[in-house]
Amino acid sequence: MGYIKWAIILVFWTAVASILHYTLPQHDVARITDTEVRRIDPGENRWFWASADAGSDGTLANRDVFFISAVLSSGRVMVYRNEDTSWGWPPYFKFDTSNLQAEAADLRSTSAAPQWVVIRHYGWRNEFFTIFPNAISVRAVDGPDQRIIPWINIIILTVLFAFFWAVYVRWRRFRMSRIDPVLEDVEEGFDAVGDGIARRRSGFRKWLDSWKSK
Amino acid sequence: MFALGRLLVIGFLVLSVVYICLSLYSRAVRKDKLEAEWDEEIREGDRDAFIKAGLEDYDGSLRKKLILGVYIVPLSLMTAIIYFTNFH
Repeated sequence: MGYIKWAIILVFWTAVASILHYTLPQHDVARITDTEVRRIDPGENRWFWASADAGSDGTLANRDVFFISAVLSSGRVMVYRNEDTSWGWPPYFKFDTSNLQAEAADLRSTSAAPQWVVIRHYGWRNEFFTIFPNAISVRAVDGPDQRIIPWINIIILTVLFAFFWAVYVRWRRFRMSRIDPVLEDVEEGFDAVGDGIARRRSGFRKWLDSWKSK
Repeated sequence: MFALGRLLVIGFLVLSVVYICLSLYSRAVRKDKLEAEWDEEIREGDRDAFIKAGLEDYDGSLRKKLILGVYIVPLSLMTAIIYFTNFH
């Protein structure tokens, strides 16, 4: 039983961590090399695509999506999609996809004359499912070693932790004052019944013993 | 606009559940506190009347109205996020 319990706990916390890691904003220092539009046909990976532009027909099977190609400060390449999240999940309420694409196109640069930018995004790049992180905003910075403090993530994680801690503490207090006494009562009831049986049994045993030859 | 409507309706339902739970919880906490106050400090007169008067005070209090923040805070947060994501 111990293994199953730990497996469930492990799966649960891995899921929580994955959802947070996918959803919370992250920052990359990068150099934008290209901006383009591709037609995509979401299939098995449809979970990892956001919605069609706000106001447009979202029921069609395929659509055009903006893409931003970049080289990270580490030298590796990264490709971002640029999609509206509209009113859906995750709650970035992003409607300015086309504007962002214009900003990104403006900040394009070559390796000879690099213009570094900070790209805020959420999501993962995974080659096996062809999924891309969704760019939220870009801003120009001076150099590739820009220091970034993720204030929003610090605030969100702190508030989240405080909230669950508050609920957990209240639940534990409730359990100690309301549920545990009831369970103890039931246990004591069982114990009393058990004692009664044991006593009667010992009486019977005594009676039996009285027939044995001493 | 269908997506906005869906968000608002689901959001309203979820927040209403939170609001109701929080209201009941907060009133119960206040009642516990009044009972404890009577048992430890007052111990004279009508206990039930004291608790009833205390809860009536609570029903008209600012503290109870603050629970409406359950609706107001997420809505303001949403407005702020829309502004900072798209127009900042």
